[in-house]
Amino acid sequence: MGISRRSLFGAGAGALAAPALLSGCGSSASGRKELVFWQFYAPTPVGGSPDVVKQSQWFSKMVDDWNAQHETKIRLEYVTVLGNPKLATAFAAGEGPDIFLLSPGDFARYYNGGVLAELTPYMEPAAVKDFFAPNMATRTADGKVYGLPMEIEPLAMFYSEQAMEKAHLAESDLPRTWDQLLDFGDKLRTRKAPPIMLPNLQGYYQNFTWYPFLWQTGADAVSHGHSGFDSAGAKAALKLWQDCIQTGIAPRTSPVPDSDAVAGLGGGYATMSLSGIWTVAAFKYRKPKYRYGVIPLPTPAGGTPRTALGGWAFVANARGKDPETAAKFCVWALGSMEQESIQRVVDWCTVAKSDIAPRASALAAGRKAGGYDHPVMKKFADEIFPTGRGEPRYPPVVYKAISDAIQQCEFAGADPAAQARLASDTIDAYLTSYRGVKIL
Amino acid sequence: MPATDTTPAAPTRPARARTTRSGWVRFAVALVLAVAAVFPLLWMLSGSFRTPDDVFSPSLLPAHPTLHNFSYVLTQVAFPRYLLNSLIVAVVVTVVALFFHSMAAYALARLRFPGRDTLFVLIFSTLLITFPVILVPLFLIVHTLGILDSYAGIIIPSIFNAFGIFLLRQFYLSLPKELEEAAIVDGCGYWRVYWKVILPLSRPVFAALAVLFFLANWNAFLWPMVVTTSTDLSLVQVGIAAFQQQHAADWNFSLAASTIAALPTLGLFVIFQRRIVESIKTSGFK
Amino acid sequence: MTGLAVGERRSARGASRTRTTPRLSRRGRERLAAGLFLAPDVLGLALFVGLPMVVCIVLGFFQVDGFGGYTFIGLDNYRRMFADPLFLGSLKTTLLYLVVLIPGLFVVSLALALLIRQKFPLVGLFRGAFFAPNVISLVVIGLIWKFMLTDQTGFVVRVLGFFGISSPSWLGSPHLALWMVVAVTIWFAMGYYMLIFLAGLQDIPREYYEVATIDGAGVWQQFRHITWPLLKPTSFFILLTSTVSMLTGGIDLIYVMTSGGPANSTSLIIYYIYEQAFVYGEYGYASAIGAFIVAILLVWSVGLFALTRGGRFNDARD
Repeated sequence: MGISRRSLFGAGAGALAAPALLSGCGSSASGRKELVFWQFYAPTPVGGSPDVVKQSQWFSKMVDDWNAQHETKIRLEYVTVLGNPKLATAFAAGEGPDIFLLSPGDFARYYNGGVLAELTPYMEPAAVKDFFAPNMATRTADGKVYGLPMEIEPLAMFYSEQAMEKAHLAESDLPRTWDQLLDFGDKLRTRKAPPIMLPNLQGYYQNFTWYPFLWQTGADAVSHGHSGFDSAGAKAALKLWQDCIQTGIAPRTSPVPDSDAVAGLGGGYATMSLSGIWTVAAFKYRKPKYRYGVIPLPTPAGGTPRTALGGWAFVANARGKDPETAAKFCVWALGSMEQESIQRVVDWCTVAKSDIAPRASALAAGRKAGGYDHPVMKKFADEIFPTGRGEPRYPPVVYKAISDAIQQCEFAGADPAAQARLASDTIDAYLTSYRGVKIL
Repeated sequence: MPATDTTPAAPTRPARARTTRSGWVRFAVALVLAVAAVFPLLWMLSGSFRTPDDVFSPSLLPAHPTLHNFSYVLTQVAFPRYLLNSLIVAVVVTVVALFFHSMAAYALARLRFPGRDTLFVLIFSTLLITFPVILVPLFLIVHTLGILDSYAGIIIPSIFNAFGIFLLRQFYLSLPKELEEAAIVDGCGYWRVYWKVILPLSRPVFAALAVLFFLANWNAFLWPMVVTTSTDLSLVQVGIAAFQQQHAADWNFSLAASTIAALPTLGLFVIFQRRIVESIKTSGFK
Repeated sequence: MTGLAVGERRSARGASRTRTTPRLSRRGRERLAAGLFLAPDVLGLALFVGLPMVVCIVLGFFQVDGFGGYTFIGLDNYRRMFADPLFLGSLKTTLLYLVVLIPGLFVVSLALALLIRQKFPLVGLFRGAFFAPNVISLVVIGLIWKFMLTDQTGFVVRVLGFFGISSPSWLGSPHLALWMVVAVTIWFAMGYYMLIFLAGLQDIPREYYEVATIDGAGVWQQFRHITWPLLKPTSFFILLTSTVSMLTGGIDLIYVMTSGGPANSTSLIIYYIYEQAFVYGEYGYASAIGAFIVAILLVWSVGLFALTRGGRFNDARD
């Protein structure tokens, strides 16, 4: 129980506090300590395709293994992805789960709030080094590790071979530059269906998929503590997405979710879809016979190939019931040099899902076991992943400024230059008073 | 818009005899509007029987009607359990709320005590509070009471809603005052007056309010999601939203799940349509 | 309650003449009874609505990190509000939404009530049809309409396409999405307000219309001089309650249908509060906005009360 809570509520609800102190909190009341792990995989109450079932099993097995070997037990609690207010409310009341999954976009808030337990003390130095640095940067502060990624999910362009053939397009027609992307879309555009799906719903996910285009130009949203958004690169990247929507190459709304390229391509809604590596497993389990390919994200003239690396991490609640054990659990599960731990990462990334393993050892083991033999996975591992940069951990104000710029350009036809300036001013104004973990 | 058409020609009761020409015009207009009003619901129903290939088809009926969506949803998700949870919560809240609200409303409408108007304004003003704003403090209070993740945690905070008090007070104000005075003079205590006179008179307004309370609680989403963690306690709307999130690309499944969530209230409504509508209509919400 | 009430009323009159109980002690008893009758609801409201609201007002003066850290910052949240383009934009969107939604809902429900006021074949069924959307949750309502309005595949798009009309992007254009939300909300809520209008219409004595018809008054004149003035209390009730419920509710619908987009065009103030609190963890700021909205609603309600003093609310006071 978070006794150290600097609780304003406590004062307000003073009269109510006594019974709570007497009864203790939640599951600890029974005397036996049990740590709670919030995630959105297991035990799945909502079913799902075979890949979802596999992922759920991986989580259950992991926790069963831990519970068989350790005094302090872990209990999995399923929280729907909708559960944003649930996690937020729980933490605001000092009742956050002991272990939970965190995406880079939320890292700054949770770290600055002081609820992330440091994991480094329980890790061997070799294990820390084993995690890929570009992907770890956003889970690290002052050289200390606060989260262990379970996966690396780079973005790329998936395309339907069937739809390409139908349009009499060859592999050599696939776009490598932004201009080619627009031409390609133009060739495929029909009256009814925009051929290229770009995520269009405003939110963290859309930003995540847009950042690579920004980075390819050499620009950045934040660099050296200042906004880098009022730049030619940002304008160009905003303009690119604006063009895609305004010329009808990309849809304004789609019948399938943004991130689901299997439904998008497989359902015949698009020829090409900007999505992540998880698509490979989704195809394997949901549409195994479907023929598709992948290309790196097209680059601007003279730009560098870039992609963003997504994925979630295990984190331990520093104000939980037993932060030390929670931290040890995270390390035991994903970040120890034990064979078991490495294999668990391999299983997650190559069996339950199709991801780049976040550790060099696990990636090597995964390759050896054939997890990256599929031509698309091979391309991801060899060609796309090395161009990756971890998903940024921008605080909400920075994220929202960028999101507004993208949305205004795409949907309201706003001027990219003006929007870039506006966002940049917002970011700079915020950064002057920002105190907290380094913005990456 | 036929807004200005207030022909008072046909009095209510003997209308069955003959329908006038204006009656047929009304009939035609109402028919078109009613079909338009229920169409989206029928569309959901139709979609829930479709195969994935057929789900976006604009044809009115499924090409190959199937029950697979329903069997999938019911085998994958513990919907019966969620439906039961929702039923328990909605019924308990409705019953307790009607009881408490009518007591409070009776006092506000019929009893004299200092500060009555101020109290009423205070109670009324709680209607103006937007729920997301008080979500976190409310969560903390419920936590302090030790009833997080329990039926009590879902139910108790849902009971207290000024809307019911407000409507019942309006209703009681409209009752002739001599009623209870007589009873009081006859030596009845206030409780007996409430129990013997006020409650029986409240039946029609209770029927209407019960419907509204039941619907509001059956359809509640944000609070039940926040206050429960164990899936055994999930209510149907939370289940549906989570299911939809997981199966966002499979509209045939989502529509079947939506149908399952909507069916109990729709079914009750179809069966008791006349009574529900009448009771809301005559309940004195005005 | 007609027959019973009339009968009891008569006996009540008779009895009241023979009052015997001493007045003073009765007053004391009355107060005590009132207190007991009010206790459960008043305590409940105080604990589960009042106290959280007080906390919310207090939090409005703090910077809250969402993890137990509170810093007193005075009026900074309020200052921030009026310099926050997103808040101001959201306020504007909300005003626009209300300005169209409230009269729209009012007119549609009144029109439906007038339409089905009299008996004609199947009128009960039609009444039920108009009310039916109201029994379904906003989560499901949002899903259905998203399904019907999506580009390419939505039913609305396909049907228009069948007639050779190419649809705009209903939910993907900032200038349309808000009106879609308004339309869906009207569709959802019209049956309920229709019933309340019907109840109001029922109270208008039929003889008024009969006399007016004999006097040769047309349909419009009857509406103008009989229906409208006599419907005022109902209209007031509907204006008040619909404004409050439309401003404080409906977050599930936005969440499912548009997530506040595209380009914030459906980011109503309630959604913005939700986002600030639960997506960005800015409880202090969200609380300040919430308190501000509650204050505005308070002014609106008090204003309506004051304006309609002749209305029904002060009728039956003793």
